[in-house]
Amino acid sequence: MKKYILNSLLVAAVLFVASCKPEIESPAGTTAGTANFGKYIAVGNSLTSGFADGGLYLEGQKVAYPNLIAEKMATVGGGSFTSPFFTDAQANGSGYLSLTALVNGVPTLTPVTTNLAYRDATHLAKYTGEVQNLGIPGMRVDLAFAGPFSAANPYLERLLPDAQVGVTTYFQFIQGRNHTFFSLWLGNNDALGYATNGGVTTDATNVLTDKSTFALLYSNLVNSLTAGGQKGIVGTIPDVTAIPYFNTVTVAALLNAAKAINPAAAAIYIQTGTGAVRAATSEDLIRLPFQSAGLFGVPNASSIPYGLHPLNPIANNWVLDKDEVAKVKDYVLSYNNTIKSLADSKGLAIADTYTYLNQVKTGIVINGIGINSAFITGGAFSLDGVHLTPRGNAVIANVFINSINAKYGSTIPIVDVTQYRGVKFPN
Amino acid sequence: MKKILLSVLLSVPFWVMGQGFQVNLQGQKQIGMAGAGSALALDEASVFFNPGAVTFLEKNSVSAGVNPLLFKSAFQQAGSNITENVKNKIAPPFEFYAVWGPKSNKWKLGLGVYTPFGGLVDWGDNWSGKYSLTSLNLKAIYIQPTLSIKITDRIGIGAGFVYNHGDVNLQRAIPVNFPDGHSGKVTLDGTGKGYGWNAGIYINTLSNITFAITHKSKVITKLDGGSAEFDVPNSLRTSFPLGNTFNAELPLPATTTLGIGIPLSKSTKLAFDASWVQWHIYQDLSFDYATNTSALADTKSARNYRDGSSFKLGINHQATDKLALRAGVGYAFSPVQDGYVTPEAPDADRYILSAGIGYAPTSHFEVNASFFFEDVKSRTQKNIETGLNGTFKTLVYAPGISLTYKW
Repeated sequence: MKKYILNSLLVAAVLFVASCKPEIESPAGTTAGTANFGKYIAVGNSLTSGFADGGLYLEGQKVAYPNLIAEKMATVGGGSFTSPFFTDAQANGSGYLSLTALVNGVPTLTPVTTNLAYRDATHLAKYTGEVQNLGIPGMRVDLAFAGPFSAANPYLERLLPDAQVGVTTYFQFIQGRNHTFFSLWLGNNDALGYATNGGVTTDATNVLTDKSTFALLYSNLVNSLTAGGQKGIVGTIPDVTAIPYFNTVTVAALLNAAKAINPAAAAIYIQTGTGAVRAATSEDLIRLPFQSAGLFGVPNASSIPYGLHPLNPIANNWVLDKDEVAKVKDYVLSYNNTIKSLADSKGLAIADTYTYLNQVKTGIVINGIGINSAFITGGAFSLDGVHLTPRGNAVIANVFINSINAKYGSTIPIVDVTQYRGVKFPN
Repeated sequence: MKKILLSVLLSVPFWVMGQGFQVNLQGQKQIGMAGAGSALALDEASVFFNPGAVTFLEKNSVSAGVNPLLFKSAFQQAGSNITENVKNKIAPPFEFYAVWGPKSNKWKLGLGVYTPFGGLVDWGDNWSGKYSLTSLNLKAIYIQPTLSIKITDRIGIGAGFVYNHGDVNLQRAIPVNFPDGHSGKVTLDGTGKGYGWNAGIYINTLSNITFAITHKSKVITKLDGGSAEFDVPNSLRTSFPLGNTFNAELPLPATTTLGIGIPLSKSTKLAFDASWVQWHIYQDLSFDYATNTSALADTKSARNYRDGSSFKLGINHQATDKLALRAGVGYAFSPVQDGYVTPEAPDADRYILSAGIGYAPTSHFEVNASFFFEDVKSRTQKNIETGLNGTFKTLVYAPGISLTYKW
């Protein structure tokens, strides 16, 4: 009898324990609110396409922020989301940079050249079929309306039937897709193209788009995307100084390097946008590729070391000087005012990546991961110093998701940032 | 009189707030009564519950028991619809007691070996809080030789010296990625020791209502030369050198308990314990590495625990000469303040429910079994240090059994 009681107690205990798991109730993933995520399209540039490490390749495409958002929309009525993925055989797409060594903090970046997707020297393998991730690396607001650009840009060219190449504009390309929801994060290159060329304009991809032209064309884009009353979200343009591309090779770092060799070195000399030559200050930004350009300190024919003497300054195209920085900042603010006021007038959600990436610049902590805009170690930016790592894409996806949810009362679940990597370190 | 006492006790303002890593499984009979019993001279577990009551035990005895504990915790990130659960790992809190003294003398000797603090949580290597913690296995084993003396026929005092053997194994992911994308990892593993004491007084009033006041001192457990193993890509090896060691300190808190035992009838006793757990000594969790680098600084993570408390009410009913039935309820206030909840101790205020049964086939031999259940309230928190933001919910199940030999 007593044994029986003991035994049944034990059995009851075991059953009880096996069945009783703690439950947590959550509203996440229960409603689309006033939005309809049935067919989502993502309009944008390289950031939208999943471009990373200086190239477009399959791993990056798969974790592009729109793809991460679409995955989460699935729980609140989201449909399938198609992207122009490279095939597994051509997974490395355009090729990209890989970190192959890191010695005393100095990185060696090596291009990946296997399994590329080129059909000839300059053209990528064509992709046919439905596309909802419409991100095109290099796309700009102004060039979205230029027919010839669809021939010049290999990423758009690969998505167009031959007859449309050089004729169809990006603006036309994104239309007629029967979307119910859209994201629009475009305009970065209208300022960044100019900035990453050191404030030098040589062709249509590095023009600083006129403010009123930007406003006009951007409203055309928004009007077209909302023509059927669709809801959506627009992204603001990050400050160019928030990215590692302009924050890694600093004047102070160059001067320290020079002093290590010649303690008498007193200043770094640059040529500014006006052609003037002067000593550089911390407000002058030097482009990331200067790190590996092999120019710094190299003597010219007169034995004057590059960048360390007024007679052999760092060339204008390597430097976004103080005045050019101010100019770009001013344009970005103007673009963002346009974006925000248009969004407000149309009742669209705004992903304020400008504000968010300024926070990242000073450092944020998400789920125990310190994230900042430092090159390589910061975790958010990939090896080109401009585009996002998978971790950065996850973070940005949540900025979009949170804004969408706040605007439309939807409960798209957030992306788990910890499931996405930063830069890969060589083993 | 009894009623008045009870109501006074229950109306005591909740002046103390108690749990954290505390494990309240130190004697099958008391576990069956939600952990109350410091004012009852029930059995040899009084070595832990109240050394002052040991001298009032009628017989000499030895006992050993175990309470396989299942800590089932779940987490959901704020804004996520995914609930993540800890793996089913069974922690083995155990207890061993021996009490001996010459019959009808004024003193008794006791020995206790028990596990008053510990934690076993394994969230797996790839959950959303992996950069805070992937797993923790913490064990504190207290060894306590004890002397208990009757001052009068109704008052006993007792005290014991406590030696603690501590084991800690803490693992978490590091947010640097290998070429295949997986994260780095650190494993901190060490053993340590600490010292303290446990003393109590037991008073049996003329109405046979019994009182207890006990104090278990804090035990600062020092871990020296533990191994700090970093699994990182080779290109980062100079930042995280091989063969590194660490020193750390784990302060285990003092507990002051006020207990009351009330005989409701000849065969039924009520026990009430109020405990004040002085967790305020746990201000930070710090790791001092033998080798520091630019990427590996010593860490000092604020914990800022406040004092915790618990209130437990249990009943022991001797149904027949051989069979005893027990039940208990309790409530504990968490020492963990808002902003400091971590996956290593996803703590919150909790309810305690328990039941127990004892069977004595002969006058020498006794079997006791218990079932202990804790419902830790769900708590939604953003950790100040890690930014881990979400809801924790925990249920604790611990069935247990012990064997006793008396003479």
